[in-house]
Amino acid sequence: MKKKLALLISLFLIAGCASVAKERSLKNLPDNEFSVEIPEGWWKPNHINKYLITKDGAFLQYVLIQQRPIDLPYRHTKKKLNKGMLPQEAAGIIIDEIASDRRILNFDVIENAPASIDGHEGFKILFIYKDKKGSAFKTLYYGFISGDSFFNLRYNAAMRHYFEKDIADFEQILSSFKVVKDTAALTIALDR
Amino acid sequence: MKYLALIMVVGCLVAGCATPRPIPVTRTLRANEEEQMLWRRAQEEMDALNGSGVLYQDAEIENYLNRIAAKLHANSISPDITFQIKVVKDPSLNAFALPNGVIYIHTGILTRMDNEAQLAALLAHEIVHCTHRHSLRALRSTEDRTQAKSATVRELGQLLGITGSIASISGYTRDLETEADRVGLDLAVKANYDPREVLNLFELLKQEFELEGIEEPYFFGTHPNVRQRIENVNNWLAEKYQGNITGIKNTAAFQSRISRLALDNARLDLRRGRFFVAQRTVEKFLTANRDDARAYYLLGEIFRQRGRQDDVAAAIKNYERSISLNPSFPEPHKAMGLMHYKDGQKRLAKRYFESCLLLSPDTIDRAYIQGYLKLCVTNGEG
Repeated sequence: MKKKLALLISLFLIAGCASVAKERSLKNLPDNEFSVEIPEGWWKPNHINKYLITKDGAFLQYVLIQQRPIDLPYRHTKKKLNKGMLPQEAAGIIIDEIASDRRILNFDVIENAPASIDGHEGFKILFIYKDKKGSAFKTLYYGFISGDSFFNLRYNAAMRHYFEKDIADFEQILSSFKVVKDTAALTIALDR
Repeated sequence: MKYLALIMVVGCLVAGCATPRPIPVTRTLRANEEEQMLWRRAQEEMDALNGSGVLYQDAEIENYLNRIAAKLHANSISPDITFQIKVVKDPSLNAFALPNGVIYIHTGILTRMDNEAQLAALLAHEIVHCTHRHSLRALRSTEDRTQAKSATVRELGQLLGITGSIASISGYTRDLETEADRVGLDLAVKANYDPREVLNLFELLKQEFELEGIEEPYFFGTHPNVRQRIENVNNWLAEKYQGNITGIKNTAAFQSRISRLALDNARLDLRRGRFFVAQRTVEKFLTANRDDARAYYLLGEIFRQRGRQDDVAAAIKNYERSISLNPSFPEPHKAMGLMHYKDGQKRLAKRYFESCLLLSPDTIDRAYIQGYLKLCVTNGEG
């Protein structure tokens, strides 16, 4: 009986590892015009956002990558991004959106500066906040507008220990980020 | 046996339909375990709010609000509650009371009011929620409905997440809200406030909900809805006072104190992209504070960020007014630089960016401004 149980547990573990390994590569994401390389050790929890990856669990740290239609309304601010905006103006709207979210407490912007992402002029915002339970988090948020899309990559982690621990991995992800405008090439890559 | 089962079923149904037990309003508060649990929960919520950075810290405004609350409370049925009023930095039209007598008012609702009588009406309403133990009544009512009469304290703790002090934030039932309106009106009259002002407050806010397409928050919530409440107040005034109504409004005293937070609240509205509301608040502020450079700058920001036709000219006009009133205020310099930069007027942009950095070398946008300045020079307009 004990042997059977051990076998069953082993099978579950193997199945779990296989599924995690399968999700590790987020290259050429199907319905988006970008690709990124994910470092070893990061995985995608099945139950949450499609482009959210973590190493130790999303509550401790995550990287979220988004391509967002530029005219898609935000939840907390009525302001909208537009093509003619300077990165500083786009950053202002992102800050307004986050600061207006009632779940984000003690919000404080530490840095707001221009940044280049895959050669695109954008911005980076470094901010800290607490959630309703009082846990402190730190976020590094990169964004830029290209065509009709707003691309953003953010690294969010528990302020204590985790933010510093995995920031290098995020920088690696950021430097691997590419906008793939040729959707035909993307389709071929997916077929392979 | 069949009859016994039938009697039991009918018994359960009758118990389910029974009106919740009324809680006698006595001077002895925290009389039982349930109420102690509510107060503990209220304390936890207070602690969370105190550490959240959402409270508006202004001792003068708090003292003013506490003085009005004390006047209203002097005629209430539970003098043993100590009321404490706190202001929340939130542009929505809301207020709520915790069962332990701590009342939170959002900056949004404070800045929309016109006078002290309206404020008194709102505070009186919240005071009644505490003195008439509405949290406890809401809790017991839920207990009856869920037939959770035998709940242990631990189970009650779970219920508190749905009712209890949470009810004070999310709103009470129609009956409790109506009681708070009715008794609150009496408290305002006894404190010598003009009770008709509650109607003006309702009207003012109803217009704003319609204008902004906002769902009514709980203070003017759907139980009962605002139209019903206006009708109720009209009926009470006619029945009880038969047209013989007087009372103070204290408009000037109210405006002089509350206008302090108007600009901060307008900034919060601007953040949410509520341009019209923000503009109206700043313009109202400017009628009493004609030479306030911050207000003109904020008005400029509202126009710049809204970005409609003619807004550019309106933004520049307000930034220039702000600079003329206070040349050492860096923000309008930065905004002027940005507008000229986007318009391709690099020489003008450079001048304003430079003056901004001179006035505020450590501004958080420093890196952007330095980038713009480099481009102004490389474009041959330096």
